[in-house]
Amino acid sequence: MIAKTRHISDTKNLTGSLPAIRYVDPKFLYLPLTNARCTKYEIYIKEGEHVNCCQMVGKRIGPFFEQPIHATCSGTFVGIEKHYHRNGKLTDFIKIENDFKDTFDPEVKTRTPDEIAKLTKEEITEIIKNCALVGLGGSSFPTYVKFQTDKPIHMILVNGIECEPYITADHRLMLEFPYRVMDGLKYVMQAFNCKHAKICIKSKYKDIETVYRQVIKEYEGSGIELCLVGNYYPQGWEVEMIKNAEGIQLNTGELPSNQGIMNFNVSTMVGIYKAVKYNMPVIKRFITITGDGIKFPKNFRVRVGTSIKELLPLCGGYKNPEKDKVFILGGPMMGASVPNDDIIVSKTVTSIIVLDKMDYVEEPCVRCGSCVLSCPVHLEPVQIMNAVKTLDKERIKKLNPLKCIECGLCAYSCTSKIQVTDYIRKAKMIAKL
Amino acid sequence: MTIIKENAPHLRRKATVTRMMADVLIALAPTLVFSFVVYPLNTLITYLLSVFIMIGSELVYVGLRNMMPKDGQKHSFKERFLYAYKGKITPNHFLAPAISAIIFTLIMPAGAPIYAVIMGALFGIIFGKLVFGGLGSNIFNPAAVGMVFAKLCFGSQYNLFVSTWYYTVPDVAAGATPLGWVNGGELASINNYSLLDMFLGRIPGALGEVYKITILIGLVYLLIRRSADFRIVVSYLGTFILLTLVAGLSVYGLNSDVNPFHFLAYHLLSGGVLFGATFMLTDPVTSPINSPSRIIYGMVAAVATVFIRLFAALPEGVGFSILIANMVAVVLDHYEWSNPRYTWKKFLGMGLLIVIPSLVTFLAIFYGGVYNG
Repeated sequence: MIAKTRHISDTKNLTGSLPAIRYVDPKFLYLPLTNARCTKYEIYIKEGEHVNCCQMVGKRIGPFFEQPIHATCSGTFVGIEKHYHRNGKLTDFIKIENDFKDTFDPEVKTRTPDEIAKLTKEEITEIIKNCALVGLGGSSFPTYVKFQTDKPIHMILVNGIECEPYITADHRLMLEFPYRVMDGLKYVMQAFNCKHAKICIKSKYKDIETVYRQVIKEYEGSGIELCLVGNYYPQGWEVEMIKNAEGIQLNTGELPSNQGIMNFNVSTMVGIYKAVKYNMPVIKRFITITGDGIKFPKNFRVRVGTSIKELLPLCGGYKNPEKDKVFILGGPMMGASVPNDDIIVSKTVTSIIVLDKMDYVEEPCVRCGSCVLSCPVHLEPVQIMNAVKTLDKERIKKLNPLKCIECGLCAYSCTSKIQVTDYIRKAKMIAKL
Repeated sequence: MTIIKENAPHLRRKATVTRMMADVLIALAPTLVFSFVVYPLNTLITYLLSVFIMIGSELVYVGLRNMMPKDGQKHSFKERFLYAYKGKITPNHFLAPAISAIIFTLIMPAGAPIYAVIMGALFGIIFGKLVFGGLGSNIFNPAAVGMVFAKLCFGSQYNLFVSTWYYTVPDVAAGATPLGWVNGGELASINNYSLLDMFLGRIPGALGEVYKITILIGLVYLLIRRSADFRIVVSYLGTFILLTLVAGLSVYGLNSDVNPFHFLAYHLLSGGVLFGATFMLTDPVTSPINSPSRIIYGMVAAVATVFIRLFAALPEGVGFSILIANMVAVVLDHYEWSNPRYTWKKFLGMGLLIVIPSLVTFLAIFYGGVYNG
C-alpha cells in the first residue's frame, strides 16, 4: 500500500476508561542511582539508616547537571541492588524497606496561596530544581533548564496528546486530577508572566474534553483554553503539536521558546503543582500495564520505585504464556524493550506494554516509498538505509539522518517489514563521527 | 515463554509486498480474461510460455544465488537442492515474475511468432531483472525490456492482423494499425477506426492492451487499494493529454478537417498509453522514491511517448518511453538532489517539462512538416 501512514490503531480502548488502581504501599522501593543523562552518583546515607519520605538520599551527577535523588517512602535503607532501568540497562538501585508510616521530611511544607502568589520566576525555578523535576512524558529532561530561558514567553502549551498507541496513563491523570493540572498550569503562567495557555488533547478524547470544558469555567479570566488537535501519530511531538495548536512551523533543532512558546507534559504539570504547593518531589505516578500479552490490562497509580513484578499478578499475569513476549517501557513505537521483567517504575515510566513476539519475514525493499511519504521530518529512510548498507559516509551525511526523531513510522509503514528505523539509528551514529 | 529484546518500533502495519503484488494480479485479471475470450489460442500459448519462462528463470536464479559453497566434500543433488531452496522461496518469487509475465503477454501483438515470445520473455526476465539482482534491484521494467527486444528483433515477422469473432480486419485497414496510419503521415485515415471500436478494443494490436474498459477497471481497483501511486498515473496521463492536445491544435491549424479532440482521443485510446500508465509505469521498483520525483518521472515518460509517436520512425512509443523514464528515475533518486519536499526548483522543472515539449511539438508540426496532409 503506497500511502502516507498517519493513523495507527491505538488500542487505547483496552484501558482508557478503567479507573487507576491505587497500589501505593509496596514492601520495598527501589531508586535508580544513574540514568541515561547522569552516569555518576553520590549517596548521603548509610546502610540500615532510617530515611524520611521525600528526603534527599543522594545525587546523580551528569556532565551538564546534577539531580537530587529523593526517597519516595519512609523506611530503612537496605542496600544496593541491580535491576533494569527504563532505558533497558542494568542499573544500581537503592533499596528501601517501607515502614508504612509515611513520615515526611521537614523540607515538605504546604505553601499558602498568598505565599505562592509572591513567588518569582527565579524562586519557582529553584523549587523545581530542588525537587528534581524532569519531563515526565518520557524525555526526562530537567524541567528547571526550561525555566531558565530569558526569552519572553507568550503561550504555554500543555501536552495531553499521548499519541503513542496503548498508553492511557496521561489520559487517566487528566481525568482524575484536572484541578492539579490547572493549578500547576497557573503556577507556570505566573512564573513566565504569561497571559495565555492551551491544554492540547486529541479531538477524539470526548471524555477529557467534557471534564476540561467544565473545569475551565472555574478558572475564568486565567487565559487557559482547551485546544483540540489532530488524532494522528506523531501528534504528540512538540513540533507537530505547536504546528496544529499555534500554526507555527519550527525549524529543525529550534527551541519552542524561540517563538515565545513553552510546552510541558500534563504529568510534568502535576509535578510542578506538587513542587510549588507542597515542596514535594514526584513520589507517585500513573502507569498503564497493557498489551496483547497481559490478561487484564489495567491502569495503576503507584509509588515511584515500585517493582513491576509486584504489579503483574494484579493484572492476572501473562496471556498465552506459551508465546514469546516483548516487554516495552514507554510506547510501542518509540519505547525501549527490556530483556527481563525485573523492572522498576521510575519517574518517567509511563507504561509497560507486553506484546506477543511477532516474527516478520523481511522481504527485499520494493521501493514503494511508504517510508518517504510517512516520514514526519521529510527524510528518505530507504535512501539512508541503502547508504548505510554501502557504508558511504558522504552520502549518509548528505541525506541528513540527524534530523530523524526516531518516531518509528518508517519501519511501521514498511511493506517489506524491514527494520528501517534501525538503519537510521546506525546512520545517525555514522553521521556523528 | 521467554522475554525477547527487540528494537523499536514494536508494531507493524498490515500491508505487505505480497498483498500489493496480489492486487496487481487481480487488477490484471479482467484484461487477461478478456484477451483469453477474444484470442483463446494465441493468449494461452503466450501466457503459458511467458509465465513458465519467467517463474522458471527466477527460481533458477534463486538456486544459483544460494548455491552451496565448495567445502571439499561430496554432497548429493538432493542435499544441494535443499540447501539452495529451503526457506529461501517466498510468495514474491512467484508473484513478481508472474506479474511481469502477464504484462508481457498482454503487450505482445496477437500475431507474434512463438520464438519471439520465448526470446522476449527470456531476455526480459534475465536482462531486465535478474542481472540487476532480482526483486527490488532492477532498473528497467522486465516486461517492457522483453517486449522491446522482441519487437526490435522480430518485429518484421509479426502478423498484426488476426481476425476473431470479436473483430474482423476490415479491408481498408489492411496495411496498418491505428497508430501506423498516423505515423505514416496520413492524417485523414484517423477516421478508419471509430473511437468506440478503439475503446472496445475492436482494432488490430496487442493481445491485451487494446481493451480499455478492463484496463480502466484495473486502474480504478489499483488506485482504490493504493497499490499504485496515483501521482504517476495522473502526471503521465495529464502531460500526455496536454501535449497531444497541443499537437492536435497545431494539426488543426494546418488542416481544419482534423478535430483536435478527436486527434487527442484517438491517441489516448490507441496503443498502450492506458495500459502502460496503469501497470508498467506504476511499478514501484522502477519508479523514483519520493512524490515530486514521481510526478517528474510520469511527465518524462509522457513527453517521451508523445515524441516517439509523433516524430520517430516507430508508430508506438509506450514501451520505449517507459524504459527511458526508468533510466531517468535512477537519476532523480541520486542523493545529491533527492528530497521529498516540493521546492520552487522542482515546480520550475515541471513547468519546463510542459512548456518546452509543447513548443517543440507546435514548431515541429506547424513549421517542420511532420504531417503533410
